[in-house]
Amino acid sequence: MAEMWISMGPQHPMTHGLWTLKVKVDGETVVDTEPDLGYIHRGVEKICEARDFTQITTYCDRLCYASANTWSHSYIYAAEDLMGVEVPERAEYIRLIATELQRIASHLMWLGAYCPDIGNLTGLVWCLRERELMMDLLQELGGSRMHYNFPRIGGVKRDLPHGFAQRCKVKLDIFLDRIQEYEALLDESTIFLIRTQGVGYAKAADQINHGVTGPNVRAAGHNYDVRWAHPYSVYDEIDWTPSLERPSIKGADCYDRYRVRVEEMRESAKMVMQSLEQIPGGANTYHDPGDPAILAKAPSRAKDGETGFHHYEDSRGESMFYLVGGGEGRGKMPYRVSIRSPMFITIPYASKCMIGYKIADIPAIMGSFDPCIGETDR
Amino acid sequence: MAAGELLNVRGTVESVATAISGLTAQYTIGMTRYWPQQEAFASGMAALVTEVVMGTVVFATIMTTILALLWTERKFFGRIMDRRGATTAFRSLWVGEGGDDATIRWWDDLPFGIGKPFGSVHGWLNKHYGNAHELETVNRVGNRSYHGAWWALPGMIQNVADGMKFMTKEHMVPEKADRFIFELAPVIIISTTVLVFAFIPLGPTLYAANSELSLLFMMAIFGIAPLGVFFAGWSSNNKYTLIGGMRSAAQLTAYEIPLLITVLAVAVLSGSFNLIEIVEFQAASSSGAVWNLFLMPLGAVLFLVTMIAEVERIPFDMPEAEAELVEGWWTEYGGMRWGLMFASEYLRAYAACLLFALMFLGGWEAPFEDVLIGLPMVGGLFGTIFYIIPHTGWLLIKSWLVFAGFVWVRSALHRVRTDQILEFGWRYLLPLSLLNLALAFWLRLAVFDDGPWPLMVPIFITTIAVVLFMILVMDEDEEALEAQRRPYSVQSTSVASPGAGKE
Repeated sequence: MAEMWISMGPQHPMTHGLWTLKVKVDGETVVDTEPDLGYIHRGVEKICEARDFTQITTYCDRLCYASANTWSHSYIYAAEDLMGVEVPERAEYIRLIATELQRIASHLMWLGAYCPDIGNLTGLVWCLRERELMMDLLQELGGSRMHYNFPRIGGVKRDLPHGFAQRCKVKLDIFLDRIQEYEALLDESTIFLIRTQGVGYAKAADQINHGVTGPNVRAAGHNYDVRWAHPYSVYDEIDWTPSLERPSIKGADCYDRYRVRVEEMRESAKMVMQSLEQIPGGANTYHDPGDPAILAKAPSRAKDGETGFHHYEDSRGESMFYLVGGGEGRGKMPYRVSIRSPMFITIPYASKCMIGYKIADIPAIMGSFDPCIGETDR
Repeated sequence: MAAGELLNVRGTVESVATAISGLTAQYTIGMTRYWPQQEAFASGMAALVTEVVMGTVVFATIMTTILALLWTERKFFGRIMDRRGATTAFRSLWVGEGGDDATIRWWDDLPFGIGKPFGSVHGWLNKHYGNAHELETVNRVGNRSYHGAWWALPGMIQNVADGMKFMTKEHMVPEKADRFIFELAPVIIISTTVLVFAFIPLGPTLYAANSELSLLFMMAIFGIAPLGVFFAGWSSNNKYTLIGGMRSAAQLTAYEIPLLITVLAVAVLSGSFNLIEIVEFQAASSSGAVWNLFLMPLGAVLFLVTMIAEVERIPFDMPEAEAELVEGWWTEYGGMRWGLMFASEYLRAYAACLLFALMFLGGWEAPFEDVLIGLPMVGGLFGTIFYIIPHTGWLLIKSWLVFAGFVWVRSALHRVRTDQILEFGWRYLLPLSLLNLALAFWLRLAVFDDGPWPLMVPIFITTIAVVLFMILVMDEDEEALEAQRRPYSVQSTSVASPGAGKE
C-alpha cells in the first residue's frame, strides 16, 4: 500500500477530546505524525484579563474537565504569590486532601479511558465506579460534581464537613481494595501486556528536552515531582515518596506509564489518609465558612508591576501560572494571565513517539500519555 | 439417538406437503386428461413445498431465538462490567436490578411456599456476594437503581426501537464511492450469513436442508463474508474502511486455515461431513454417546478461538477497531444496511455458537440422556421426558451458553493487534490444529473400532486436558506471579533530581 495521510480528528475516538492528529501511514505502520492543536481554543487567558481575581477560579476549574481542582489550586497559589497572602495551615491540609482526591479521580478517568482505547469496556465501567466515590467526596467539599470552585485566595471555601474523615477513610479503603481488581483485569491479562509492553518507548532525556513532566517523565525513571522537588503546600510535612518506574534502556513504554499512575493513585490515597490524621485542629472540627482558621484575609487588588508565579504538580504534569497585577479596575483584574499547560507540551512529543509503530498502537500510545484537550487548547 | 422425538417437524411438514401435492396433481390437470408425470410432479412439488416451509420455520426459529443472544449481550455484559464480576452478574439474571436486596420478592407470591428455596438461595448469595454497604453513596455506586417490573423484559423493546431507527434513516453513499460495489457488499455479507443457516440442523427433525457435505459447504459459505467486508472497505472511498477491509483480509489467512483444519479433524473423528451424522455419532449408543468435547478438547479450544476471530468479536475485532478506525470497514454505511449488517454480525456469532454446540457438545442430545434412559428403574420415565421435550431446546440452550462465554471473553480481554493475530495464527494455531488433526486420525484409526468408545478414552483425554489447563492457569509461585505482574518494579528513592526532596 502506498503511503497516505490519515486525518484523525477532530472528532475521533482516539483523541480524548477535540484535536486533529494527522498520521502518515505505510500500510499499517506509522511513518510520520503531525499534531494539529487548537480546535477548542477558548482564549481563557484573555478572558481572565477581564475578570477579577475571585472570578478567575471558576475559569481555571474549566481548564480540565477531569482534573478541575488541581487547576484552580494551581491558579490560587499563583494569586497568593501575587498578593502575598499567608494561608492557614489547616486550609493547606484541606487543599491537599481536595487535590489528592482529585488526582485519584483524574487518574481513574485516565485509566477508564485507556481501557477502551485498547478494546476493553469493563475497565472503563470499573474505573468510573470508583471515580464516583471520589466525586462524592469532592462534592461534599465543593458542592458540585465536576467544577468545584473550591479554593479561595487565602484559604478554602468550606471546612471539612461533619463525618467527612470517616467517609473518606471508608471510601479510600474500598478504593485501595478495588485497585487490585484493575490489576487483576489488566496486569494479569497477557493481551494487555503485549499491547502495552514494548510499545511507545519514551526516554527520560528526550522527554526532558521536550519539556514533558509529570507521571510521564516519572515513568521513564526521572524523579521529578514538583511536590517532592519543590514542596509548596504541606507536602514536606507528609511522609510520602513519588512513585517511580524503572524503565528499560529504551525508555518508558505504555506499561510503565500505566504502572506509575496506578502507584500514584495508591500514594495519593495514603497522603489523604495521613493528612486527615495530621490536620491541625483535627479532622472532625468544623469551622464556618470564612473563619480565620480556614480563610485568611486577602486583598482584592494587585498593584501594577507586581507578579505572581507558581508551578504546581497537576495530575498530568507541571502546570504554571504567571499573573501580572494592575489590570483594569485599578488592579482589580490581572493585567496578564499566562498558563503553562503540561499537555500542550506532551502531546507533540507523544505524537512523535508513535513513529514506527502500528496504527493500532496510536490510541495505546496517545492514551498512555493522558491527553486532556481542555487545558491544552485553553 | 437414544430418545425419539414427539414433535416430528419435518415428518409432519413432509406428509402434509405430500398429501397436498398429490391432491393438487390429481385434481387439477389430472382431472382433465391423462398425465404420465403425475406422480413425479407430485413428489417434486412435495419436496419443494417441504424445503420452503422448513427453511421458513428454521429461519423464524433463528430470528426469534436470536433475541436471547441480544439479551445476553446487553444484560450479561452489563452485569459483568457492573459490579463484582460474574457472580453478581449471574445472580442478577434472576434476582432483578437491585443489587443489595431483592427488589421484587416474586418467590413469596408463589403458591404453597414453593418459592422458599429461591428465597433462601438469594439470601445466601446476598450475604456472601452481595453489594450492600453501610455508606449510602457506596451503595449508590455499587447498585443499579431499581427499574420496576421491567426486569422481566430486559431491554427487548430496545431492539425494536433500534430496528425502527435504522429503517427511518437515510441511505447515503459517499461521494466518489464505487457505488455498485458499495451496494453489493451488504448483499454478499447478509445473504451468505443467512445461507449458513440452511445447513445448520436445529434438531433431529428440524432442519432446512440435509446435504451429504453440509459441513464443508457451510464452512465455504462462512468464508465468503470477509470478502464482502473487503469489498465494503475498499468501495467506501474512506481510509478507515480501507484499512479495516485490509485487516479483515489479512486476518482471514491467519485463522481460516486453522479453523478448517479443526473442522476437518471433527469430520475425521466423527467419520462424516454431515452435521446430522456428526451429532448422531456423538449421541448414539452404538458409539458410546461421547461428546466430541471430551475426545478432542484441544480441537474445541481451537475452534472456539478461531470462531471468535471469524465472527470478529473482541479480542479479534481489528477490522472494526473503534479506538483507531472509528467503526472500521462499516464506517460509511448507515440506515438499514448498517442495521442488517449488524444483525448479520450476530447471526454469524449465533451460527458459530450453534456449530460449536453441534460439533463438540453433542448437538441436541440432552446431557447424560443416554445414561439416564439406561437407568434400571426410572429409565422409562426419562425416556418419556426426553421424548416429549423437543430436542431443539437443548441445542439452543447449549449455544446460548457458548455465547455467554463469548460475552465473557469480550468483557475480560483487550483487542490484539493485527501483527499479533497473524503471529498467533501462524505460529500457534496452525501447528496446534495440525497436531489436533493427527490426534483425531489416531483416535479414529487406532482407538475406535466401530463399537462404543472405551470409557477410559474420554476420561483419560479429559483428565490430561484439565491438568494441562490447570497448569497453564494456576500460578503456583506467588513470588513469580508478583514478578510477572510487575516486570519493572516500583522503586522509591530519596536520591532525587533536581531538588533532593525536603529541605
